[in-house]
Amino acid sequence: MKTSLHHNKIVPKKICHPYDQFEQLNGSHPLKNHVPEAYVEYKVRQKKSGKVYYFNFALAKQLGLLEEDHPEKMNAGLEKKILETFNIVIINEYDNIHNIKHPPGTIKENTYMATRYLQLQHPSKQGKTSGDGRSVWNGQVTHHGITWDISSCGTGATRLSPASAKQKKFFKTGDPSISYGCGCSEKDEGVSSSLFSEVMYLNGIRTERVLAIIEHNNGLAINVRAHPNLIRPSHFFAPLKQNNYEYLKKMYDYYVKRQKENGFWSDYPKDEIAGYDYFLAKMANVFATMVAQFEDEYIFCWLDWDGDNILMDGSIIDYGSVRQFGLFHHEYRYDDVERYSTSISEQKIKAKYLVQTFVQMTDFLKNKAKRPIKSFEHQGLLKEFDKIFEFQKDKNLLFKIGFNNSQVAYLLHKHRKMVRDFRSSFSYFERIKSIKGIKKVADGINWSAIFCMRDILREYPQIMQFRESFLTNEEFVEIIKSSYATRKDLLLNQYRKQMISLFQDKYMHMVKLVAINLKKNVKHILCELTMRSSVINKYDRITGDAVTIIVDKILSIKHGPDEIYKIMHDFLYFQNHDPSKIRKLERHKIKNTKEVKNLLEIVRSYREGI
Amino acid sequence: MRLVFYGGGDEDENISLNHALIKLVKSNNPVVTYIPACSYDADIEFSYFARHFKKFHISRMINFPADIPFTDILLREVLKSDIIYLGGGNTFYFLKTLKEAGLIPKLKKYALEGGILSGLSAGAIIMTPNVKTASFPSFDCDLNEEKVTNLSSMNLVDFEFFPHYKNSIRYEDELKKYSNKINRPLYACPDGCGIILDQDKISFIGKNYCFYKGKKILLKAA
Repeated sequence: MKTSLHHNKIVPKKICHPYDQFEQLNGSHPLKNHVPEAYVEYKVRQKKSGKVYYFNFALAKQLGLLEEDHPEKMNAGLEKKILETFNIVIINEYDNIHNIKHPPGTIKENTYMATRYLQLQHPSKQGKTSGDGRSVWNGQVTHHGITWDISSCGTGATRLSPASAKQKKFFKTGDPSISYGCGCSEKDEGVSSSLFSEVMYLNGIRTERVLAIIEHNNGLAINVRAHPNLIRPSHFFAPLKQNNYEYLKKMYDYYVKRQKENGFWSDYPKDEIAGYDYFLAKMANVFATMVAQFEDEYIFCWLDWDGDNILMDGSIIDYGSVRQFGLFHHEYRYDDVERYSTSISEQKIKAKYLVQTFVQMTDFLKNKAKRPIKSFEHQGLLKEFDKIFEFQKDKNLLFKIGFNNSQVAYLLHKHRKMVRDFRSSFSYFERIKSIKGIKKVADGINWSAIFCMRDILREYPQIMQFRESFLTNEEFVEIIKSSYATRKDLLLNQYRKQMISLFQDKYMHMVKLVAINLKKNVKHILCELTMRSSVINKYDRITGDAVTIIVDKILSIKHGPDEIYKIMHDFLYFQNHDPSKIRKLERHKIKNTKEVKNLLEIVRSYREGI
Repeated sequence: MRLVFYGGGDEDENISLNHALIKLVKSNNPVVTYIPACSYDADIEFSYFARHFKKFHISRMINFPADIPFTDILLREVLKSDIIYLGGGNTFYFLKTLKEAGLIPKLKKYALEGGILSGLSAGAIIMTPNVKTASFPSFDCDLNEEKVTNLSSMNLVDFEFFPHYKNSIRYEDELKKYSNKINRPLYACPDGCGIILDQDKISFIGKNYCFYKGKKILLKAA
């Protein structure tokens, strides 16, 4: 029987109140009907305390929760609706075992789900005990043809938390004896995720987004997230590890259906086998493109074999360990107490392994028998992954130089070798580390990179508008050196000199080729690169270090949700690195207030950090 | 000396002044440097600036924020430009930045040696003897968050400059009052209006005013 993914959604019969759309977020979700194995169900109760700390008006409009013309101001009615919808806590196993009573009027009619997925920190390694340890899904909303999933973090301790799995008992929500597993979330997590994800979103990086932060005592909060599809690879890998074909097949069908309904996979083939091939091609493309983008934007996102910290379309989820580096700090590792994370360069290996796991998964779906992952090591799709990755790296670098779409396409199509040669010199400088070696940093270890390649990409086209000769070796190093570089780090050996020469030779060669192709002079192309590159490679760039400090600063501001939203909104105006968006920015509407300026100063101070 | 003072406004409002600025250039392939008042949104401002000046067939432009570290390599090219354009923004911050970067004497020398120096709003005030006009009227002034006490500036001309002038009683009263305190003319220019100084010849574009010893005079446009 064909069913719609939206069939159990409560759609108001008559819109009689401006905030009726929130009522769809009542715990109903089609995953419940399609994949009963994929979740644990909880009754929830309304919390008494709590207030709205932050509300993302722009996102709420995108989701259709607010009308387009709704003022970006909180009012009593809206706040009440947000709290009614999101200020909830689950009635968990601990509550039931201890027979804890709650006033009947506070208990919501519907149940809410915590989804199951694979997580490597759980002892079973099969996803039987893991998943949303402190989150539940509020439901979904559809607007302008896109259905969004909404979930809330900090809504109580579920049985899927690592603490429950390890200690084999259920925890009371907020149990102070455990931190990761008590079911709570913190306000600073919410602010950090909100700020970081909006910067990423603004710059075309796929990500979850924060819709609201509900503030509670002691720095605790409920953080509400939204995305068009909150399914992670680990949602598939749990049934795969468990050899549960039925569960996996249902999960697959559910996911494909949603992708099709959202119009993302409208060309999905009718034939089942062709469909699996389509799925695999998509996965190779998504993860190769994503990981190339992460590397080139210096985004550290802890990828691992469980596919937990990422969504199926390559979107970032869970900003806990996510960072953006100012330089290519490719030796940084996050310290997660029990182990160190992967490094930014190892992300590719992990992403490729995820694709290999998808190959194993579709093979299982095709043949109803699971073969070992090792059997898929030499699968053609993995070679395709490498090809896409390399292509994307070349493409990303050309964009970073400042070439526009058609110029990038021309160079990739006609002069790929030249691009690769340039990339080799670029990567050489990008990866040079300090002679100081590995150092401990606040949340892990790092071996600092020493050259800021954004600076040379920004300055080089400007300078070359006037110069007939290349920069000297000393001038080149003067421009790229960062504050991490010591005098010894900057010594010029023969190889380094060769690479400086290669960088300049290939850069100018590409510019000349584009100029000839467009029948324009070289100076004209350099001027265009100057304009675009000054935006792409602007001096200030937000880093993980800066986010940490900015979050503290924002938390210290005693303002209501309107002011917090305004500060974040105005701050974001300065974080755009996309030259094509410049025309759309509301230049005159942004006030560089003292508060925003303080935040910008922080970004500047930490621009080379991790 | 060749100087252009812009009262304020966007690229479209300043089209006549920009034409006049370009007419001052003698080179066939001029170089224009944009020095923003503040680097935080310099990329955006430069993008607007560059797009606009490309319409005048300028194909060599430099974006040179002075409040972030810069190399001598780029500075040398900046000081060889045909036009240096000082952007608008917070005058006190801009002055402090230029002073800290050691650029005031360099830009002055550039102008005295024949470079075309232009400025919009804050950038224009910077070219005058001091930046006091940025601190009034109270209802429309720059905040001196940097707590700049030495307000002396480039001193390239013997007049003071008031940008974004609006022809209203409350502006008029403030400017008359201020002009009584100084011994030089105070030129007040609305958005889209401005002053061109070409060697000894001064000309005005748009409806500009001069306040002198408590009197207001409408200046004849070129």
